[in-house]
Amino acid sequence: MSESSSPIRLDLSSLREAPQDVLHLLPCEVEHNGSAPVARYFTPAIRQGSQEKSVSFRGRSLKGQEVIVPQGYVGLVLKEDQRPCTEEEERTVRLKSTFGTLTVWNLERAPSADDGLLLALSWPGIAEAIHAPVSRKEQ
Amino acid sequence: MELAEFERDNAGSCRLGSPVPELCRAGPCCLGIDEAGRGPVLGPMVYGVCYCPLAKQEELGALKMADSKTLTEAEREQLFGTLDGARDFVGWALHILSPNLISTSMQQRAKYNLNALSHDTAIGLIQHVLDAGVQVAEVFVDTVGPAEKYQEKLKRHFPELEVTVRPKADSLFPIVSAASICAKVARDRAVKNWTFPEDLGDVRMEYGSGYPNDPKTKEWLAQCLDPVFGYPQFVRFSWSTAQTILESKAVPVRCEDDPAQKGTRSVLSFFARKESSKRQPHRFFHERKLETVTGL
Repeated sequence: MSESSSPIRLDLSSLREAPQDVLHLLPCEVEHNGSAPVARYFTPAIRQGSQEKSVSFRGRSLKGQEVIVPQGYVGLVLKEDQRPCTEEEERTVRLKSTFGTLTVWNLERAPSADDGLLLALSWPGIAEAIHAPVSRKEQ
Repeated sequence: MELAEFERDNAGSCRLGSPVPELCRAGPCCLGIDEAGRGPVLGPMVYGVCYCPLAKQEELGALKMADSKTLTEAEREQLFGTLDGARDFVGWALHILSPNLISTSMQQRAKYNLNALSHDTAIGLIQHVLDAGVQVAEVFVDTVGPAEKYQEKLKRHFPELEVTVRPKADSLFPIVSAASICAKVARDRAVKNWTFPEDLGDVRMEYGSGYPNDPKTKEWLAQCLDPVFGYPQFVRFSWSTAQTILESKAVPVRCEDDPAQKGTRSVLSFFARKESSKRQPHRFFHERKLETVTGL
């Protein structure tokens, strides 16, 4: 995580054609960078309860909730195909897919309004409110 | 024995049983408890209770029940048939604990060990049978852990019952033998007909008995290992057999509540000048894990 000064190019040309992805945010650090058979091992084991979703990962119980990306926003999955060789080199990040919802999982208890990610998603609404011009009437 | 209810969700647990014989509501009964599938790394653990009127113990003896471990699968199925034929005076109930429930209970934040899980399941079953109106008077239990402590625990829960906890009770008391047969038959059927929610591709479903020393079980564990997910929910992740393989062959995973691996901080570090002199963002952003991105 260097604070490089070299520009980063975000290639969004394929935004419209980009496929939608299914996202799961796990409360675990998995030391793996690459594909995983989510559709074969994980998705089919998810149970939909009356209140929450449940599943297990490596024998740990997870409870989940589907979270919708705030209105007016879109979730992007980005990928850097080639790591730069030098610090100064311009970097290009490609759009891999987009998402409109994601499932947030917690260990043993369902995510609640106090969880960081759910709190974070309230920011766009707050940001809009504090940056909106104030009309005379409201003053 | 209908396992359909368990098979609908084989990630949880399920209680099932025979209809209660009228005779068991009319007079004092004895009740036996045993379990099947405690050792295996695969499949569910099944708790079984069997009960009959004290006045019918001779008839029960004539059914020639024996410790399920000394019998072949075919003999157990046959004896279960015999029990079913004696339904006018013998009743049974089972509690099936899925391997997923066992893994997640043993590995939850507040660890729930297998003995405690076993004891609570047995207590739940006795209560279930009492609630169904069976006049339980005497309870015979094959021990899990130290017999005396277990007996005390059961007596505390059921002071009105006469409780006998004994090692090898399944070969000493016919009613416990009967319970062990019910439990073992259910465990065998559940393992044999296991439906995997996961799609394991080309892995052959020859997993053997599920005991860690069974070569077929070992080979199957090696075959169906996925480096990220580990195993399907059929495997008890909390067993050392599974954990050892995961540690050596799967990618490391750290969960949020795992103790940090860092060593003790040097005493000097507490006096060191804080590295960043930058202004910290407001607590509002910190709590929401929001940061300004300046690089990749």
